[in-house]
This record gives sequence, structure tokens and C-alpha cells, in this order.
Amino acid sequence: MPHSRLRAIWALVSMNGFLPLKRQPLFLLNTLTSPFSFLFLIFVVSGGNPTYVQFAVAGGMVLTVLSIGTSLQTDLTHYKQDLKFHEMAVASPISAGTYVMGLALSEFVYSLPGMIVFVVLSLIWAHYVFLGGLIVFGTLVLLWIFASSLGFTLATYLADVRETFAVSPLISIALTVIPPVYYPIGALSRWPLLQDAAQFAPTTWAANLVKGAMGLAPLSLESGIEAVVILLASATLLFLIAWKKAQWREN
Amino acid sequence: MTDILVSRKLGREYRWRGGSNRALVDVDLRVPKGVVLGLLGRNGAGKTTFVRISSTSLMPTAGTLEVFGHDVVRDPDPVRARIAVIPQESRPFYWLTPTELVSYYLRMRGSARAEAERTALRTLEELELSHWKNTQVNRLSGGLRRRVMVAMVMASDAEFLFLDEPTTGLDPLARRSVWSAIRKAAHEDRTILLTTHYLDEAEALSDQLAILESGRLLAHGSPADIAARVKYPYRVTLEDGFAPPDLEEMGQVTRVGNKTLLFTDEPRANELARQALEKGRRISMGPVSLEDLFVQIVGKEISQDDEEAVSAA
Repeated sequence: MPHSRLRAIWALVSMNGFLPLKRQPLFLLNTLTSPFSFLFLIFVVSGGNPTYVQFAVAGGMVLTVLSIGTSLQTDLTHYKQDLKFHEMAVASPISAGTYVMGLALSEFVYSLPGMIVFVVLSLIWAHYVFLGGLIVFGTLVLLWIFASSLGFTLATYLADVRETFAVSPLISIALTVIPPVYYPIGALSRWPLLQDAAQFAPTTWAANLVKGAMGLAPLSLESGIEAVVILLASATLLFLIAWKKAQWREN
Repeated sequence: MTDILVSRKLGREYRWRGGSNRALVDVDLRVPKGVVLGLLGRNGAGKTTFVRISSTSLMPTAGTLEVFGHDVVRDPDPVRARIAVIPQESRPFYWLTPTELVSYYLRMRGSARAEAERTALRTLEELELSHWKNTQVNRLSGGLRRRVMVAMVMASDAEFLFLDEPTTGLDPLARRSVWSAIRKAAHEDRTILLTTHYLDEAEALSDQLAILESGRLLAHGSPADIAARVKYPYRVTLEDGFAPPDLEEMGQVTRVGNKTLLFTDEPRANELARQALEKGRRISMGPVSLEDLFVQIVGKEISQDDEEAVSAA
């Protein structure tokens, strides 16, 4: 990667990640609210049952990474429609890929404190399998690509930042609340239709991998490979859709 | 002189369910290297659409546009490396300081950190923004924020700058400081396409003028060329309802508010002045300004919206 591209990515990560976090720590709390709300709810409802809390910690990791996509979507729309920064970026040597990579990494910076807390909690409560840490890391990277591509694609079609406020909760519900992210997939056995529908959410597979890596659910080699393939395919598909359909310049 | 921008039959139509709008129609325009081109027009004339197509942010729906010899539709990347734009109504990130905004913008464009910071400080000084260089943008006034935006593109190494209404909302002193920066950029042999509502600004800065109305290019050339092309070199302003019966035959008449403007030649202007003096009525006259040229060419004042438009002879 040329130096100039790395500089551009680092500039975007600094101006959209580190500096706003440093100057407005409230942003930090905002990124923590959703994942920890679910964790708190499950902790209280389950009476502190360690099994459920461990599932909630795994779900928290998935939701934290997925939030990168929804935050990216909001930021990209804001920068395009309100600040017109997108136009300034288009009329410069920076490429669409570099711009999105920089902003997606800056959103990752936002999610880091939450991730660190969840990783620490998982180390306290979970019993990682062999190479479990690597599996979690790889899963979250694939999910980050999926979420960022989704955010970029949606942002190019939204006319106002207010529309992102409507879309983001829908994404969160469709990909983290309804699918078995915070709870075991077995809990859906009474509703086979819902269980089948959950297979379409890449977050279900991501959660399966994370839960398996944390020793919360059995993870055979076959089911692990199946989950990785589906997650990889989802991330690749969304990335290609973003590449082909997202509009760097307006048609 | 080499033409840096060449548009041929350029068109842009916005379509939506149940309607459409032709924002640009058959625009043929050439911008030579090193000039400041003032692109003038009323609201909705197509200025911003032209800037957005030229700066590769928007696709045209007809015609072609080349910048530095590259087609902006088929080959935009070599263009993007050499241009910078201040979009209309753009705003800076509020959590950064002016120094950070300028230097990060430069780093985003590929500059090394030390060089970017040095250039940022120098540019802020040139735009008289040094006093606020480390103040977070949300504590700055709207005018200062706009100047910071100007500093961002002025600090870049772009050879062609697109400034879409860069001084809107600035007080007269702040406008002068932006003017100085634009003049300096022009002296550095950079080409500037400036859209503005302020005709005094266009007059003060532009080597060439282009006038757009309803998406069509009505005039293009140096201010002197445009002045020479208009039929009537004199402007007469009649007040208090004074209007001789043969006024419409004396030249081009435009009514704005309670004033009547007559564009005419010198003998007729003198004749009208004599009549007004005889009747003790108020009248003023003089050679046409850029504002008058605009009214003669477009038939409306630059600040007039369509619903306020009045007839032109």
C-alpha cells in the first residue's frame, strides 16, 4: 500500500476516531449503551445465571462490531449530506476504498473500549477452546467487513441523516435482537420458522463461532467451517455490493 | 493559453418520480489555465451543478466535460489528484481546531505530517486565522468556520480550485481576507472557478465571467468583452414613479420594487436627465456596472427569485 494511502487512512482514523473520543467522552458511552443494556437485562432476568451471562458477553461482542456498520452509515450520511465532506474527498486524490477504510477503522476505534471490556469479561467467565481467541478475532474481522460494507452501501442511498436514525435500529433488531446472538439457538426450537429465518442472519453464524470459541456451545470442525464459509460469503457479497452499487459520486 | 476545463453541450437533468428539472442545458465553456472564472447566476441557475460535475462529484446526463484533458466521466482519477473544492454550504468537523482541520485534510490528500502542519499554519496566517488556530471549531463564528474551509483548499497543492460561494455569510472584512487568499492563489498560477452571488466580488476577482440562467450559458468572456457585447452602456434609475410615455422605446426597461431601471445609450440618458430636471424629478445615471450587465443579460437582478421577476423589455 503506498505511503500516501496509509497517511490518508491514518488521517481519517485520527480526525474521526481518536480526536472526537478524546474531546467528547460521551461518544464512548454511546457506543457502550446497547451492548451493555442487553448484558444488564440478561444478567438481571437470569438472576445472574453464568450460562446466560456468558451468552450475553458473546452477543455483546457481536453487537459492538455490528454497531460499527450502523455508526459508519450515520457518519457517512452526515458527512455527505450535511458537512459536504464527502464531496471534498471525492474531489481529491483519495479513493473511495481508502475513504471507507479510514472511516470504518475510525469507527473501530470507537468500539475498542467496549470490545476490551467484553474481552475481559469473557476471559473471566468463559473457558476458551484451543485457538479460541484466534477464532473470535477472525470472526469479528469478517463481521466488521460485513457491517462496514452494509453501512457504506446504505449511506449512499440515504438522503438525510434522520433516515439513518430509522434504518439503524431496524438493522440492529434484524441482525442482533431477533437472531440468536444474545441467547442460545436452542431457545428457538419451539419456533422452527424463526429458527430457520435466523440462519439468514450472518450474525447468527458469527455468534455461533464466538460462542463455540468461548466454550459455550459445541463447535465441531464441520459446523465451524460451515459458519466461516457463510460469514466469509456474506462479507464478500456485501463488500462486492458496496464496491459495485454504492455511489462514490452521484449518478 | 491552454484550456484547463472544456465543456461541450454539457447537460444535467434531475429526475424524480413525477417530475424532472434540467439544471444544465448545452453548456459550452472553456476555462484557460491560470484565470479566475466568476460563474454568476441566480439561485437555481445551475452554478453548483456545473461545479459538482467539474469536480467529479456528479455525473452529467448529456455532453462531455474535460479537465486537464481528461474526461471527468470516463477518467476522473487524474483530475481528482489535481483539484480541490469547497462545496456550497459545507461545514468543518466541529470537534477539530483549524490547524487540525487543515493539516488532516492535507494528510488525507497524501502530505507528510510535518509538511502538512507547516503548510496549515502558514495558510491560517495568510487568512488571518492564526489567533484561532488552536480553538475548537464549535467555538468559532459562522464566518470564521467558512474561512477555515477556504484555508483547507487553499493549503492544498491543487492546481484547479472550485470555490462554490466561499464568502457567503462573511462580513465585509472577512470577505476581503478571502479575496486576498484567492488573489494569492491566482498569482501562484492556479486556476479558480468561483461561484458567487456577490457581483462586487466577481468584479474584484474575476479575469473571466460566465453567466448562467435556467441552466443555459448566456454570456462568457472578460468583463470588458461582456460589457462591449451589451447594447446599452448607460444605466438610468428613475424613482417616484417618473416615467415618460416613450420610455419603453428608449432602451431596456426593468422594474425592481418602486424603481425603474432604463438601460440606454448616452444621448437618450442625457435627454431623460433633462426631462427629469425640468419636472423636478429624481433621477440618477452612470455607466453600467457588472450588476447592470447581469440585469441586461438575464433580465432579472441576481438576488431575484423567479416569483419576484418582473418583465424586461
